[in-house]
Amino acid sequence: MQSLARRFSSQISSNARLFSTSTVALQATPVQKSVMNKEFKIYRWNPDEPSKKPTLQSYTIDLNQTGPMVLDALIKIKNEIDPTLTFRRSCREGICGSCAMNINGQNTLACLCRIDRNTSKDSKIYPLPHMYIVKDLVPDLTYFYKQYKSIQPYLQNDNPPEKGEFLQSQEDRKKLDGLYECILCACCSTSCPSYWWNQDEYLGPATLMQAYRWIADSRDSYGEARKEKLQNEMSLYRCHTIFNCSRTCPKGLNPAAAIAKIKLELATE
Amino acid sequence: MHCQGTGNILSLCSVVAVRHASDSSVYVPGGPVYKGTVNDPITFPPPSRSAGSYHWAFERLLSAGLIPLTAAAFVTSGTNYPVLDGVLGVSLVMHSHIGFNSVFVDYLHKRKFPVLGPIVTWTLRAATVGALAGVYQFNTNDIGLTELIAKVWTA
Amino acid sequence: MMLTRAVGLGPALRQAAFAPRLVRSQVVGRSLIAKRNVQIQSLPSTASVEILNKQRLKRPNSPHATIYQPQLPWITSIANRITGAGLSVLLYGFSLAYLVAPGTFDSTHIIEFVAGLPEVVKFAGKTILAAPFAYHSWNGVRHLVWDSTTKFLSVKGVYNTGYAMLGLTCLSTIVLVFM
Repeated sequence: MQSLARRFSSQISSNARLFSTSTVALQATPVQKSVMNKEFKIYRWNPDEPSKKPTLQSYTIDLNQTGPMVLDALIKIKNEIDPTLTFRRSCREGICGSCAMNINGQNTLACLCRIDRNTSKDSKIYPLPHMYIVKDLVPDLTYFYKQYKSIQPYLQNDNPPEKGEFLQSQEDRKKLDGLYECILCACCSTSCPSYWWNQDEYLGPATLMQAYRWIADSRDSYGEARKEKLQNEMSLYRCHTIFNCSRTCPKGLNPAAAIAKIKLELATE
Repeated sequence: MHCQGTGNILSLCSVVAVRHASDSSVYVPGGPVYKGTVNDPITFPPPSRSAGSYHWAFERLLSAGLIPLTAAAFVTSGTNYPVLDGVLGVSLVMHSHIGFNSVFVDYLHKRKFPVLGPIVTWTLRAATVGALAGVYQFNTNDIGLTELIAKVWTA
Repeated sequence: MMLTRAVGLGPALRQAAFAPRLVRSQVVGRSLIAKRNVQIQSLPSTASVEILNKQRLKRPNSPHATIYQPQLPWITSIANRITGAGLSVLLYGFSLAYLVAPGTFDSTHIIEFVAGLPEVVKFAGKTILAAPFAYHSWNGVRHLVWDSTTKFLSVKGVYNTGYAMLGLTCLSTIVLVFM
């Protein structure tokens, strides 16, 4: 086995040598893409130098040597220019929610946001707005998760069916469409001015939409208790239908409409 | 912008509060230190419908009522039936009170502004009582709100 | 030296060097078997919260309103609050002024005062009053429709109702000013 591998690798290297010496001369020279430099201004703050104020650091990269998305640019900068640049990323396809940040003034996922090809304008990249910053583009989402946990985001029903699973009509299942797809990237909550000023008490759009996801579920029997929790000045009613949440959602969901439905249900029950 | 200003004051105040506390685990509303561990959910205030859905519904019904009321008060303005004018005056003051209160809850809540918050809230309450009295005086001893506006408009 | 450090003998040897000559060999032997003297500060598990909180207090708050893109939804929303607050301040101001000094702020004096103003000022004053009133009223209707029906609460719906509201505001302002 080992000898096979060795033989295989030696074959490759001899081929490569052959390739580089003879064939290349016969090949047409590849079309040289022009250089397309674009400036990125990125928010930087280093916890090891906490007295230094956060700054915008400028990086210029060639867009013709970069992938199409802002996340590609960030990874290129980290790989080739500045390995200290810190940001969260994982799936690079808009399903994990890690790379949520404020790009050109709007919260979105860096992996779903195309780089603006207009090179005369720079791109500004900030972390999610009004959050405590761990480092560079990494915000502390602890409180966001604590809020999400507080709405008990799981099925609660004291009378499970005697056998088999909970059944649900197709209409009832349809009510959950547009709610369950949320990936908890926190783009919506951190775009909400009410959440900026009162995030210690106001739950914010992401958490409230998930609260509604369980209120609206026909299989859950704790709807009343779930609604009762929201009956106070702060948790729900700091929402003034500003609509930044739905405007910014990178998954195209509509937290503002879900919150409006909670309010109407609370008022008319 | 108004909200921007309060945001800066707000962060400044929490920083000051933190410095004074010196014990780093002290909880400051809106500050970077949280109650409980990462795994503890946040807690809710005790439920109160008068602060929740009743307040919300009353606010909407009052606002919706203002539309026909304003129209009706201007139509009957100058007649011998100043009742609608009085109702409009009181409704407008209540609508304004709820609006001001909402502004103060958003930007100057007492949990973050233990001194300024209550001052502002009680000043608003006093001003609302005064405004109600003023509107009542003007509608009984003078020509009433709608007629004043109509006359000033064509003056 | 490298070797002794690698097997953890460093501290033991250092200790032995300071120990009395007689017992030196004994000490070397004992410490080799009994303890590996690695310098670790022992903390209770609860101390992690304290360390984390010290770190947290240094964290800056990321920029928000100043860097957020100007967009119709939030601008129409903050404008609703500003126009409402402005009109309410006027209402409270006048009511309180009349309560305190009914002789100065009675209708006859006010109408006389306004009638004496130049036409340009009257026109400007009417616009300054009519525009926020029209805006707050139509935007209020927009909000009431959202709240009572939960319709038009899509990105498209918010923009369409927003433009309609702005159009109606302009029209109503013009009508009111020329009334």
